[in-house]
Amino acid sequence: MRDIPTNNKALCDEALVGLYDVYDPEVGLNIVDLGLLYQLDFDESKKTVDVLMTLTTQFCPMGDTITGDTTESLTKSFPEWQINIELTFEPPWEFSKITPEGREYLGQ
Amino acid sequence: MAVKAVSGASLQKTTNYKVILPFYGYATFSLIIGVFLLLLHSGTIVGNTFDQRTLAIVHTMALGWGTMTILGASYQLLPVLIEGELFSDWIGYFTFLFTAIGIPILVYGFYHFDFLNIDLLKTGAILVNIGVLFYVVNVTISSLKSDVRSVHAWYIIIASLWLFSTTFFGLLLVLNFRDPSILGGNSLQFFTIHAHLGLVGWFLLLVIGVGSRLIPMFLISKYVNVRNLWYIFFLINAALISFLVFKLIGWPMTTYYISIGLGLIGIFLFARHIYKAYLVRIRKGVDTLVKTSMFSVAFIMAPLLLLLVLLLLLPSGNANIRLEILYGFTILFGWITAIIYGMTFKTLPFIVFNKVYHNKKKQRVVSKPPAPKDLYNQKVYDTMLIFYFAGFFIFVIGILLNQAIILKVGAIGLLISALLYGFNSIKTIFHQQTEAK
Repeated sequence: MRDIPTNNKALCDEALVGLYDVYDPEVGLNIVDLGLLYQLDFDESKKTVDVLMTLTTQFCPMGDTITGDTTESLTKSFPEWQINIELTFEPPWEFSKITPEGREYLGQ
Repeated sequence: MAVKAVSGASLQKTTNYKVILPFYGYATFSLIIGVFLLLLHSGTIVGNTFDQRTLAIVHTMALGWGTMTILGASYQLLPVLIEGELFSDWIGYFTFLFTAIGIPILVYGFYHFDFLNIDLLKTGAILVNIGVLFYVVNVTISSLKSDVRSVHAWYIIIASLWLFSTTFFGLLLVLNFRDPSILGGNSLQFFTIHAHLGLVGWFLLLVIGVGSRLIPMFLISKYVNVRNLWYIFFLINAALISFLVFKLIGWPMTTYYISIGLGLIGIFLFARHIYKAYLVRIRKGVDTLVKTSMFSVAFIMAPLLLLLVLLLLLPSGNANIRLEILYGFTILFGWITAIIYGMTFKTLPFIVFNKVYHNKKKQRVVSKPPAPKDLYNQKVYDTMLIFYFAGFFIFVIGILLNQAIILKVGAIGLLISALLYGFNSIKTIFHQQTEAK
């Protein structure tokens, strides 16, 4: 399982199980292997999940779908928790962020 | 730059599907009408470039099919190209409203052309101009409001201005039919200016600007060469401007070689750009849609080579009307149609997918949503391509041999491909989510 910067490794691994099923519909690759997730932080007392993520391009036509599916997946993993998504383009997504498994899937 | 949202609210506003889908639907209908007219009048169009039926077909294809598709696609892709939001959805609606009403009036005016009564042509042309003006305003303000002004944004801004120049000059040509003092001569002698403003300034510049962004994106290619894109931008604009100057000054036709040379270098650099992007792509499997789009890049060369042949023949008075028709045909039914066939199902399914599935959590669904590529039928698409290429090449042979029966067969092939394209477009546009019982 890919290591995503987090303040809670156990909860992050639990979240990733669902997030591996969230796909970029155009690329056909899940957002974890695609490298769209930058940080996943959890606050157990406030019951919040803070997601820092990116998209392959600014104003990606699939942006709403990807962030919506990310929220939906995390809501399934953590019912009753509030999901906060922050979208950043600093640093911008680049090809080196794709995992070796992702590259293999894409035919490299 | 960072944007925040709670529980999946929209983070970056993309263009509303209601702005985009009418353009695609209208363009599909226009394609079918245009090819049907081609079938109906295939025997007569080879005889005269300025035949009223030919002009009706050309404007159905150039405005109804090519321009309406590109207007819709560019409204969809503008946020990606300028890295900012579309300025106004309402201006988008007005763009559609005025062009959608103006185009059939204009086409009907050409179909029943009468030098003594140009009111229909004038009304259609004015409405189209108003629609295009709305588009120019929307694109320009959207681009200027964005923090980033990329090379792609400049392509789309300048292309939109060339589009307005085309339609405005077209209006002047119509008015000039009644009052030749407006342009100082017969409208027909200015026809090539009107045509090339549209073909080079609008279609070529926009296709290169959008294609150079989208094709590498769909290939998941690492290739970036902004400097090359600027070179192409200046070369294509220089080719067009030099042609306009030479034509208006009345210099010998041999000077047109300079314009064609500049254009050819620009197109060659664009083809090389796409090829380099292809070589360093991450996604190894390239689908038929992207292959068709890449093929259309090679298709641009065909009309240019024909133009060179035409110029070789023109000074000696041996201009061949069939080559002129072939030139127009390879542009409208070759290059422009091929790139739209390739790109439609790379763009249209995404807007429909967002429309149907973005709020899916509010509804119960039977199964996982399909991928955008599953919204159209791939087998129908592949069959469409077979009929398209067969119809295109048969029609080209028909033009060269001036054989009515071959032209009809080619036109039938093109009509079948247009109907199959229509089937897939409608299937995509009206895609519905399957709800749980």
